[in-house]
Amino acid sequence: MSTVIDGRELQPPEPMELTLAALDTLADGDEVLLLLYCQPHPLYSILRQNGYTWSEESREDGTREIRIRKQLG
Amino acid sequence: MHPSLSFDQAPPISVPYRFFLVAPWFGVLAGILLAWAGGEVFVSRWTPEALALTHLIALGFMLQAMCGALFQFIPVAVGGNVWRPELVANTVQPLLLLATLLLVAGFLFGRPVLLSAAVPFFLLALGGFVVVVALALWRTPATGMTLWAMRLAIGGLAITVLLGSLLAEALARGLAVPIVELTNVHLAWGLGGWALMLLAGVSYHVVPMFQLTKPYPLWFTRWFGPLLLLLLLIWSARLFLDLSRWLPLVVLPLLLILSAYAGLTLWLQYTRRRKIHDATSLYFRVAMLSMLALAVSGAAFVLWPVLGADPRSAVWLGVLALAGIFVSAISGMMYKIVPFLNWLHLQRLGGPISAVPNMKKMIPAEAMTGQLRLHVLAVVLLLAAVWQPGLARLAGLALAASFAWLGWNLIGSVRRYQGFRDQIRAAA
Repeated sequence: MSTVIDGRELQPPEPMELTLAALDTLADGDEVLLLLYCQPHPLYSILRQNGYTWSEESREDGTREIRIRKQLG
Repeated sequence: MHPSLSFDQAPPISVPYRFFLVAPWFGVLAGILLAWAGGEVFVSRWTPEALALTHLIALGFMLQAMCGALFQFIPVAVGGNVWRPELVANTVQPLLLLATLLLVAGFLFGRPVLLSAAVPFFLLALGGFVVVVALALWRTPATGMTLWAMRLAIGGLAITVLLGSLLAEALARGLAVPIVELTNVHLAWGLGGWALMLLAGVSYHVVPMFQLTKPYPLWFTRWFGPLLLLLLLIWSARLFLDLSRWLPLVVLPLLLILSAYAGLTLWLQYTRRRKIHDATSLYFRVAMLSMLALAVSGAAFVLWPVLGADPRSAVWLGVLALAGIFVSAISGMMYKIVPFLNWLHLQRLGGPISAVPNMKKMIPAEAMTGQLRLHVLAVVLLLAAVWQPGLARLAGLALAASFAWLGWNLIGSVRRYQGFRDQIRAAA
């Protein structure tokens, strides 16, 4: 199951607040899909230190799709 | 909500704030200097007061603020790690402050020995800063045009400092160097290669993020920095070659790419779906309109040399660049960075998210927009004072009051941070 957070028209720090809230209830195997126009380095730093993995892809219109999951093992 | 999460190791909040809290008061000094000296200051860009005023704004306000912002921006925006940020900031900031005061006093009181005395402090402070920041920018695994623009900008700062040091020594010791040509190249690297390059690079990141616009088109971000660099290199060739006949071919394209950046930023603001009219957006609008005004009047001075021959035309461009563009853009950025940093560092305390107040509570919106209006009035008065010297004292007072209000707003924000921090700690 995937939770989608469209942060493209939200002012910081709203996208980060929503993402952290979604991670609180994230089950193993589920993912959070975050849509932004920039790379959220402060969020990446938090994810790295708290056992999450993520992948990032860019769309033609400059949107970045960031998929976050719990690290396995 | 997420008290168990550990947050990133961004530098302590005191690192950027050490710079931010000092910067506006240099602007207050600049305003007081103008109010005291009056209309004679703007007769030409070479008056001692004009040189002192320029460096109070460029070094005292702009550079302090930009250095402080980079310490925070590098980890947050491009994921880089600055080496020992607390130690570097605690060394660079007071040295830069001292060097700026020495240089300004040297200009103002006609004491070349003070110009010479400022040089080692500048070289030490900014040399160290450039090395540490350059290492962080080259080691980060991040990619993107913001990063590249920042790398070019830090090179621009290094060139500006070296040329400025050479100029100060030349004035102090009477070295046989072409002072006017060297000054023109120094200011082009300072305002173009450093300040504008950094502003553009930061804009690619923060304009879409904070002002909720679409991203800058990729073709623009790919070409703007390299083109600006190329034009600056050609402009610098005037030190070695007689380019006077060809200068319009450098200046006009330069003004064209300035217009493209300013026009595009205004277009992105205009076409965003969610309109936000906060102080940052408005400040950016003022900066970009000033950039367009600079491009149009600069082109007029080049195409109609009679206009450009008046020494006040250079002062006009200087006022637009310093007060109109960079003071506006930097003030607008501070109004977003400072509340964001307050929020980020309060989050890191590990309390429940409900305990961390909304970013909008860090500086009252009315205080920011009121200060913005006063700044716009100061810019208008400064521009009028270039041609109507009787207005210079009033313009100086408006400038001093506007910077003092900015400084007061920032102090208020830090006080609020301390209050919220104590509340969260007490609750925990």
